[in-house]
Amino acid sequence: MRRVTKIQLFILENLVWVLVILFFLFNAIATESFFTFKNQVNIIFQSSLMGMLVLAQGIVMMVGELDLSIDAILAFAPAMTILFVTTVMPLNPFVAILMTLLLGVLVGFINGFFVARMKSNSFLLTLSTQIVMRGIILFLIPFSIAGLDPAYTYVGRGRLFGEIPVAAVAFILIFLGFEFLFNKTIFGRKFLLTGGNRRASYISGINTNRVIIYAFIIAGLLAAVAGLIATGRQNAVSNGMGSGMVMMAFAGAILGGSSFNGGVGKPIGMLGGALLLGMIDNALTLRGVNVNLVYATKGGLIFLAIMLDRAKDQINDHIMYKENIRRLTSTEDGLEKAS
Amino acid sequence: MEDNSISPTEQNNVLEMRGITKLYAGTVALENVSFTVVGGEVHGLIGKNGAGKSTLVGILSGIIPPSRGTIHLNGNTYHHLTPITAKKEHVAIITQEPQVVEESTVAENLFMPRYIDSRSLVKWRKIDQEAKELLKRTGFEIHTDRKVRELTVSERQILLVVKACYVEDARIIIMDEVSASLNQKDQLVLYRIIQDQVDSGKTVIFISHHTEELLNVCDRVTVLRNGHSVGSAKVQDLDKKKLAALIVGDEAYEASVAEEKSALIENESILELRDYTRYGKFEKIDLCIKKGEVVGLAGLRGSGRTELFKCLVGLDQPDQGEVLLDGKAFTVKSPDEAMKSGMVYLAEEREAEGLVSISSIKRNITVNILPEVSRNGVILSRLENSRADRLVKVMDIVAASRDQLISQLSGGNKQKVLVGKIMAGRPRVSLLDEPTRGVDIEAKQSILKTINDEMRKDSCVLITSPGVDDLIKICDRILILYRGRLIDTFNREEFDEEVIYRAIQGEVIHEETVREEIIFNEGGQSNATCY
Repeated sequence: MRRVTKIQLFILENLVWVLVILFFLFNAIATESFFTFKNQVNIIFQSSLMGMLVLAQGIVMMVGELDLSIDAILAFAPAMTILFVTTVMPLNPFVAILMTLLLGVLVGFINGFFVARMKSNSFLLTLSTQIVMRGIILFLIPFSIAGLDPAYTYVGRGRLFGEIPVAAVAFILIFLGFEFLFNKTIFGRKFLLTGGNRRASYISGINTNRVIIYAFIIAGLLAAVAGLIATGRQNAVSNGMGSGMVMMAFAGAILGGSSFNGGVGKPIGMLGGALLLGMIDNALTLRGVNVNLVYATKGGLIFLAIMLDRAKDQINDHIMYKENIRRLTSTEDGLEKAS
Repeated sequence: MEDNSISPTEQNNVLEMRGITKLYAGTVALENVSFTVVGGEVHGLIGKNGAGKSTLVGILSGIIPPSRGTIHLNGNTYHHLTPITAKKEHVAIITQEPQVVEESTVAENLFMPRYIDSRSLVKWRKIDQEAKELLKRTGFEIHTDRKVRELTVSERQILLVVKACYVEDARIIIMDEVSASLNQKDQLVLYRIIQDQVDSGKTVIFISHHTEELLNVCDRVTVLRNGHSVGSAKVQDLDKKKLAALIVGDEAYEASVAEEKSALIENESILELRDYTRYGKFEKIDLCIKKGEVVGLAGLRGSGRTELFKCLVGLDQPDQGEVLLDGKAFTVKSPDEAMKSGMVYLAEEREAEGLVSISSIKRNITVNILPEVSRNGVILSRLENSRADRLVKVMDIVAASRDQLISQLSGGNKQKVLVGKIMAGRPRVSLLDEPTRGVDIEAKQSILKTINDEMRKDSCVLITSPGVDDLIKICDRILILYRGRLIDTFNREEFDEEVIYRAIQGEVIHEETVREEIIFNEGGQSNATCY
């Protein structure tokens, strides 16, 4: 393949990062106090919460399903843990963190089990679990529970060297970890294959049900991590945490290259999607744009992403078609065929 | 043998396709093909798999846009058709896979989507009545209130034929291998319907693989070979032999028989089936396959080939019987278990069940060898890339790079990827269901060569094919499957395309041997049952 073609394909693959860089450069020049170290760290910190949900949604979308319950897990996992600690018996904060994560895993497993084994529709099933969880915490926690153990809130509040938020670091590390998982391991490879063609993957000897269950478990786990970050940030649990965030999670995942048809998606792209959303929030707020207008802008961005996604496939087809014709005409045999 | 053998008057040509060319990224499907159909005739279209028949009628029905050429239909000229313009010009196509609404009744399917209405209210009773009359007239006896879900493929096919011919008022009706999935009774119904169409002045384009059927049904036949039109002729000027020669071309048939590899066969049986049964699909299958052997399983569509394979890899469960793999009992519940024991299945439907088309060649072709190219579950990219490159080269896959998406490849190359993927895993038993279906000649040759040279090494292959000729080229034995039972077996020295063709239609060729073996079997010698 020619180098030009390779570069074209690379850019096409990482379109979201082109957007991120363009947006960054524009604001670095045009928006006051955007291009400061403090603000950049802040953007990453602010994006970390949504980033976890974007990644969770993106992974479920990889296997061709979707998960509406992640923003409810975000509230449910820490809320139930804190409730347990405050009303039943006090726990070591590390055990409490473990319990939070396990709750996320458990809900993820329930989602995955019914979707994979019972062949339920994931939209409907996760809608039901979302409502159940939100209902339970609305009932059990009418008011916020504040004043938590600093160890429990460390992920959300803690700072390294006094200025770098733990959440920001964790956020980047988790994305890099998943990028490795999906790019370099057999375990990760199975996700994209399962999402691309479940029947073919099953016949090829992949235990597709297990892959789907794992996708939901990972989503639940990441949502619980997001719950820890959210709890830490406000140093309290409340029943409205994360409400409505799942839709923006879809937005970030789609910006990052995921598709509802499954079989595509890269964590590094989802990272770009999450950062782009965070950056827009930050920059527009700095410029004094009304919150609701920021919201509308994000909607427009999603629209753009969907259009780009369709165009991307066609451009890719076109590039490869050109490349093939070039190959065919470069050999004598091919010349005959193409003429 | 050009068109000059007949000189239809210009006005009589309801359809003229001129200079039709269709390029795909990897191949040329049709090159400068001209195709003329006279009104009121049954025009046969024949050619080997991959000759371009389906592409040609796809263009005619507006499903596939041509790269070049013009289409003259009823006096109008088009550069390309859409399904809607095709319908306006009264062109209807019935494909091999019947497209029906399963949850609706026979009557509703017939009159959908326009129904019969008065002021937008559907008149169900009238629809039912008309459907009944229609079916009675065509001699196709089936209850109009049955759900289409309950119908067999054969019945669905006829249903669509009836719909195209009588309800949609098509004047040019394309039947793309419709008769292949029909049972004998429905075939007669089909022929009667075709006759009825011609009598009322309509035109039928009839695609079939069966030369005899074509000669009986059609008035004129056009032969396609490798994307070119070989010519058209009246059936009176043809016979089976002449037609076969036109289809095959000058290729010397004997020369294409693959090198004999029977020296590789060892006297060690790998796969053994005993009394293997799934009721309604196949019954009492007994066979054993030796190490290094390639065994063909010849049978018509619906004879149970695919069902047998699906049971063996755990997609379905058998009702009785046992499977021995390397002498040990083998039972699996899912393909991943089968894979671990070395039993791999190449699915007949390559798009739906074989490949992940939105993934790259590399990711598809290395699925079965991921553990080999990784350490502790981490894939070693360089190793994987080199293995993928080698497979692409061995299978002679035409693509820009190993990272090209499957969806951008031609059918033949997709199939090569699929075969390469199976081969790479070095399975103990390869179950290949029509590995040469719908691929061009070159792809077919390279796939057959791979099976013959590589896949049989230290393992065994069970293969089916859309044409007996492919089996003859590479198999050591051919077993005949008829209505779910193994009825005969042919050894390499007695291979004869025509005889085997007759055998898969149910004719008993080795009468004595069959009888002897049955008696022998009752004597208690288990070896004798081993086909």
